[in-house]
Amino acid sequence: MKRYLGVLLGVLTAIGGFVDIGDLVTDAQVGARFGWSMTWVVLLGVGGICVFAEMAGRIAAVSHRATFDLVRERLGPRVGMLNLVGSILVTLLTFIAEIGGVALALQLVSSVNHVLVVPFVAAAVWIVLWRAKFSSIENVLGLLGLSLIGFAVALWQLGPDWNDVLHQLAPTSNPGGESWTTYAYFAVALFGAAMTPYEVFFFSSGGVEERWTRKDIGVMRANVFIGFPLGGILALAIAGCAAEVFLPHGISVETLGQVGLPVALALGKIGLAVVVLGFFAATFGAACETGLSVGYSLAQYFGFQWGKYVRPRDAAGFHVIILLATALGAGVLLTGVDPIMVTEMSVVFSAIALPLTYLPILVVANDPDYLGEHRNGRLANVLGVFYLGIVLVVSLAAIPLMIVTSMGQH
Amino acid sequence: MRRPWRTTAVAVPLLALLALAGCSVVSQPDPAGWDQSAQQALDDASGEVGTARLALRAAADDRTWSSYTTVLVSEAEEAAGTAEEDLSRLQVPPERTDAAATALDLLGQAAEATRQVRALAVAGRYDDAELADELARLGTALDQEALRAAARAERS
Repeated sequence: MKRYLGVLLGVLTAIGGFVDIGDLVTDAQVGARFGWSMTWVVLLGVGGICVFAEMAGRIAAVSHRATFDLVRERLGPRVGMLNLVGSILVTLLTFIAEIGGVALALQLVSSVNHVLVVPFVAAAVWIVLWRAKFSSIENVLGLLGLSLIGFAVALWQLGPDWNDVLHQLAPTSNPGGESWTTYAYFAVALFGAAMTPYEVFFFSSGGVEERWTRKDIGVMRANVFIGFPLGGILALAIAGCAAEVFLPHGISVETLGQVGLPVALALGKIGLAVVVLGFFAATFGAACETGLSVGYSLAQYFGFQWGKYVRPRDAAGFHVIILLATALGAGVLLTGVDPIMVTEMSVVFSAIALPLTYLPILVVANDPDYLGEHRNGRLANVLGVFYLGIVLVVSLAAIPLMIVTSMGQH
Repeated sequence: MRRPWRTTAVAVPLLALLALAGCSVVSQPDPAGWDQSAQQALDDASGEVGTARLALRAAADDRTWSSYTTVLVSEAEEAAGTAEEDLSRLQVPPERTDAAATALDLLGQAAEATRQVRALAVAGRYDDAELADELARLGTALDQEALRAAARAERS
């Protein structure tokens, strides 16, 4: 019974923790401009994150070591450094976007300018990362993140014409009449948002924090293969709400307030309050995950003690990195930079850095010295190579598309 | 025969000079470029007017709380103002004088209408039917002008 409850909790937190500021903004933008025509990108991205998260989780459960730790050892310090630099910059950018997202969510409740809220949010994130238990962070914020189910209820209440939705599912439908380069740019951003590198670092390091063993591989797979796809359905519901309310009026989504407006129209104040709680939980949870991921990545690469499973005084360097990253994030946001713009940049740069993250995972997951009988089978390798090809194309296309479309403006 | 470094020494400053020539303090687009910028600004403003209209409707139906509505419409007001400002800063090509007057007038109306919505939201008054109608009319006018700008850009 306890085991089943553990699986259920893991699945629920995986669903609630799937969506972050990048998904909230990008899904709503895509829904408002392209209707349901990018559903295939969300499905492709969810498939990709499932494939690589399963590999990263398996590596942690079998070797009891996290990704960066093994990448450096297996591929050498140079490749490890390349992997580290690409990933850390994107994760740091995502961390800044998440702190900004929390501030924007609080602004919607208080109407206090988000810049004034940023120092308090940053302090709260740091205190939680310093003092709270790993499982508390993951479970409490993951479960609160389930409030975003409000989008699915709102979509049902908005009553879309499902025949029309079916027609829009064809990738070529492009109901907003946007140019195909803009379509491609948003497809890249949406894919980058679904496959953000920090998700696998956090998942694999979290496995080490929670002391996974070979016996936990089944539970880990249930979290990945049930939780992540259900999280993907939440992402589709966010896009669907925007498609129903904004697309017919030709309205682009540029603010977090707009993301919640369809829920207000469909469900009223209570529904809106529930999803704003979801905004807070999703962004605060992702801020904690990205903050920890920055600490994990650097500490694992340089080989000093890390993690929430040891006392802070025993992992002082790890906590100092988190403190500095939090101060840097707050500092950047205090310049008045728009958190939504930081988010848009973070998902595109995430797309650019994808091969640096996923190639090493595929290599390590095939190494019998680390994984023995649990190394990748044929199916995992076919899927891994297929997705590696896609992330390579996405990575190469991201910068030209960003320039040609002026970040999706036209 | 000239040595490669000499070619480089001539080519690099020349290319740099050409690149700098495009970085004037005042942006002076050609007619097609101006049409594209006008279309973008009109589309953006139409979106902000639409957002303000939906926010007003949601608030009038008691579906949002006051701080949410205030944040939503103040962001729409700011973005509508930015759209107007961005287009007004461009040097208008002589062939587009009339189109610029129409576009800037509409953008000014959009900025003013969203300002009025924000003022009502802060005052907690959401049931101004006349303003709601004005927002709907303005949204249509902005969309039509954006379509005209797009058609001109395509012809140029």
